[in-house]
Amino acid sequence: MMPPEGLPVPGPVEHAPELADTEASLLARAQAGDVGAFERLSGAYADRVFMLLLRLLGDRSEAEDVAQEVMLRAWQGITRFRGQSSYFTWLYRIAVNEANRALERRSRRPTRVAIGVDELQLPAPAALDPSRQAENSELRRALSRALAELPPPLRTALVLRDVEGLSTQEAAEIAGISQAAFKSRLHQARLRVRVAIGDQALVTAGG
Amino acid sequence: MGIPGRTDDHQWSQRHLSHYVEGDLRPRARRRLDRHARGCVDCGRGIRAMRALVYAVQGLGGLAGMRAPETIFDRVRSGGPGGEPASSRA
Repeated sequence: MMPPEGLPVPGPVEHAPELADTEASLLARAQAGDVGAFERLSGAYADRVFMLLLRLLGDRSEAEDVAQEVMLRAWQGITRFRGQSSYFTWLYRIAVNEANRALERRSRRPTRVAIGVDELQLPAPAALDPSRQAENSELRRALSRALAELPPPLRTALVLRDVEGLSTQEAAEIAGISQAAFKSRLHQARLRVRVAIGDQALVTAGG
Repeated sequence: MGIPGRTDDHQWSQRHLSHYVEGDLRPRARRRLDRHARGCVDCGRGIRAMRALVYAVQGLGGLAGMRAPETIFDRVRSGGPGGEPASSRA
């Protein structure tokens, strides 16, 4: 889904003044019950929300279902948004909460399907020679598997900070925990992934 | 409490490699890890591995062409269960 016309592609941390103005206007209209304004406001972040859900859930159809639920929850709660965080942070927090609820539901089911790196169609770096590309592809498969094996709180920390590239402050806010607690989860997550993949494989792939 | 020995330093360093590459260690702790890693092949490799890991995980973020489904607002539009802002229902 493309960003709504007139809205630039948003970034997680820095927001241009024009976008902030536009957001404020759309937010006011959405809070007054204008569903079109809500769709424009939230649609600017829809792709990122969906990608986050894909990373946290590892299953495309489940991510699509949860993405709808995230937007419904946001719409239902829009009048409670007071602007104490950015709208992006607020929406992402809803997405993380809904992903965690979905993972809880899934844990009560017998099977799960993890999305593979090939299914996500990650682009391979073009500059590498074939053998390095193969190593790189292998590493990304291993990373995806290791990520999927992490307990949800650790996976959330790694995805928000390292995959999404959010600041620690914003990622902690989205996760709903202190920065110290967030850092602790992040370091635990990295240690587990490092053990799962192995130092030699990482060093070799890192060149 | 005695002076930490090499084994203590090694285990401590292994647990703090992520803190190290993140820049989360205080200067004294950073010097401790630096000093240990200079003489420890495993920890030297561990630092390189942790840096490579963070770099590789960052590379997973590039899901070029991945778009949210067109159906993402369907529940909002259909009015879903309670599909209106809270103030509208009140």
